[in-house]
Amino acid sequence: MKRVILTTLIALALAKGWAGAGPSPTAGFLRIAIPREEGSLNPYTYQSGYPGWLLMTLVYDTLYYPDLDNVPQPWLARDARPSQGGRVWTVTLRPGLRWHDGRPLTAEDVKFTFEYVKKFTHARWTPQAADIERIEVQDSLTVVFRLTKPVAWFRQLPLADLPLLPKHIWEGVTEPGRFHNTVGSGPYRLVEAQPPQFYRLVANDAYFAGRPRVRELVLPIVADASVSFNAMQAGEVDANTRYLLPELMAQFQRIPGLRVVRGPGFASTILQFNLEHPLLRDVRLRRAIAHAINTQLMVRLLMLGFAEVGAPGYLHPASPLYNPAVRFVPSKARAVALLNEAGYEDRNRDGIREASDGSPLRFSLLARSGDPIRIRTADLIRTWLKDIGIEVQVRVMDDPSIISLVWPDFDVCKGRRFDMVIFGWSAPVMTRPNALTQMFHSDCRIGTINIGGYRNPEFDRLAELHAATTDARRQRELVFRMQEIVARDMPIHTLFYPDVLLAYWQTKYDGWAFQKGQGILNKLSFVSAPR
Amino acid sequence: MWRFFVARGGQYVLVLLASATLNFALPRMMPGSPLLFLAGEEVGRLDEGHRRELVRRLGLDRPLWEQYVRYLIDLARGELGTSFQRGRPIADLLRERISWTLLLMGTGLLGATAAGVVGGTWAAWRRGGSTDVGLLFTAMALESMPSFWLGMILIAVFGAHLRWFPIFGARTPGVPLEGTALLVDVARHLALPLVTLILVTAPGTFLVMRYAMLQVLGEPYIATARAKGVGERSVLFRHAMRNALLPVCTVFMLNLGFVASGATVIETVFSYPGVGRLMYEAVLNRDYPVIQAAFFVVTLSVMAANALADLLYPLIDPRVRDGRR
Repeated sequence: MKRVILTTLIALALAKGWAGAGPSPTAGFLRIAIPREEGSLNPYTYQSGYPGWLLMTLVYDTLYYPDLDNVPQPWLARDARPSQGGRVWTVTLRPGLRWHDGRPLTAEDVKFTFEYVKKFTHARWTPQAADIERIEVQDSLTVVFRLTKPVAWFRQLPLADLPLLPKHIWEGVTEPGRFHNTVGSGPYRLVEAQPPQFYRLVANDAYFAGRPRVRELVLPIVADASVSFNAMQAGEVDANTRYLLPELMAQFQRIPGLRVVRGPGFASTILQFNLEHPLLRDVRLRRAIAHAINTQLMVRLLMLGFAEVGAPGYLHPASPLYNPAVRFVPSKARAVALLNEAGYEDRNRDGIREASDGSPLRFSLLARSGDPIRIRTADLIRTWLKDIGIEVQVRVMDDPSIISLVWPDFDVCKGRRFDMVIFGWSAPVMTRPNALTQMFHSDCRIGTINIGGYRNPEFDRLAELHAATTDARRQRELVFRMQEIVARDMPIHTLFYPDVLLAYWQTKYDGWAFQKGQGILNKLSFVSAPR
Repeated sequence: MWRFFVARGGQYVLVLLASATLNFALPRMMPGSPLLFLAGEEVGRLDEGHRRELVRRLGLDRPLWEQYVRYLIDLARGELGTSFQRGRPIADLLRERISWTLLLMGTGLLGATAAGVVGGTWAAWRRGGSTDVGLLFTAMALESMPSFWLGMILIAVFGAHLRWFPIFGARTPGVPLEGTALLVDVARHLALPLVTLILVTAPGTFLVMRYAMLQVLGEPYIATARAKGVGERSVLFRHAMRNALLPVCTVFMLNLGFVASGATVIETVFSYPGVGRLMYEAVLNRDYPVIQAAFFVVTLSVMAANALADLLYPLIDPRVRDGRR
């Protein structure tokens, strides 16, 4: 028996050595671990922004698709041309497109999809169709969108975001959330959905952009993060959509055949202020708090250096619209000076400063349970603010409870009940052309994620101008100025952006394409962009 | 006899109604709404009207009493409803998972009981000796270990390092297998979660068994048996163990009721597709109908196990039988 085991082990070792011969540009079968169920992987049942949208768009196609720098490029569409200052967009499809079932994909399907999402509410799709007044089909390859107002970034949103639905299948569907058909037009067909176990996708050989480089994708659902990394190490999965934990980096880099890639991450960790708080509405106090927080040290201590220090204008330095002139260098001395200048002094000698009306600088700071990094972030902030005479009480609670205080009913029009919170936005927020507008416009119907209640008429004016500007250079200028205002007013203090750390078995497949800020799971990892 | 059944039946109906009510009320009392999990971060981009439409689609805009009555009527008709999040009938969700849960929990319960009984008997027989102390210590240590931690250790050692067993799931994903190959595959995937489950549950049975055995071994009739020259093995197994098994049966019956509820933590750690994970995810996602249905099914199975215990006890314990007469 012992001998059998030994022989088997040797055979296994040899097989491994054989597989370890070199990076592989194509693969027959690839297993990519995903963290949760994604419905039936169609546009109305998939669940998460990351990685759900990326998985769903392996089966479905959008008219444009973000390239590795997140700039939308023509995909199903050959082009999209604006006229009348961005009020009318004419989209031309590539000829000869087909659905998985062989039926032709035409302008009628495009019109149908946009009208469908307008009619059947979906949190991501429906708002994107809000500005569309009328859609006209000119011929089988040409669609004209008439908008209620100019939309400068129409190529990005909705064209590079909203997947097309086949009209002949979805036409009579009135409960899309319960409809599980998966005929799309993408590079992969869904052949097996076994939630909560796995999904199996098989290459669509008739794909217009060419045959996918990996024949079959199996997506096992691994519920626990550290187990998914164990499975990686054991070679039970070939890639993982979860970002590697910083503390695993060194260990993973030593494993031969396993490749670890690192790139900028567009998700953020921020300190969000409630700008309606009687004390925190004072920008001098917010600046002092920001100056007391050593973000550089924070990144070293909590992220082991695998993060980018937050930029004061929110946008990540790797983002195409980042304004490099906006800087912030924290200084504890400056924090103390600011507080003294503004008249926050410790009048009763209890170690905590008071405002001139006697109210102490004592705030609660919320942090989400189940997220050790955020809890430790909150704790560091508490320590550092104590040094300058500000008392912080860290309160850890589960996500729904935090949301109910910070963002009741997800409607910023409904107000807020908190002082400060460690919060964060996911990567797609960063790549949205109107990210800053949504985060900081004072009208709660435009600034839909302005959870701090920030208001500045100058910012609003710039944001509105930005929305109506189609010229790319002028747009950039406006976003630069918006970052300057955010950096000056500090409605939030951006602490850091965790790097995207991903691991895969190079020996199994090495054709991955790294999309800035997001990762390796995207169409471009399996097919080349159409020409 | 009939009166007994009617009284018991009435009790069961009351318990069911109370638990159904709690299943309805508790999830709705938790902070947070199902909306986040339906719409994700994007929910913030929806305007008031669309948000309201989503809530209406779930039936959550109706007055609470109406939701409650509708839920009870559906339940009485055996209609479990549709998951908010997955958009699929809950009966299907439960069907897909229950067999995996029964496999894991059933073998786990049998394994843990067998291990506990054997270990407990042996320890009691060698009371105070090094075997007893060693077993007792091990049992105490295992019982105080969190199951997720133990599972992680097993994964790290036997999965990632030695690669003897697969780390996650109930079968190899995406590879169609049949016959013996399928059985072997399922068994290999079952190994680590099953061992974890047995290691954390067996100590309970072991302690009960050991204690019961010690008590029985101190009874005069055991001394009598020994005095009349009955062999030690016969004393142990025929005279002592049979009586000492009674409290173990109680523990077994109690656990049997929870077999259908799955082992939430172990199922999550090993990504095992069971009912426990479904319940856990439903609570996290505020998927009210799934919470209601899954907990209701668990209530039913606990009550069924209770009923079974009621029926079986007179058979295995003559004292109960005599007392009732």
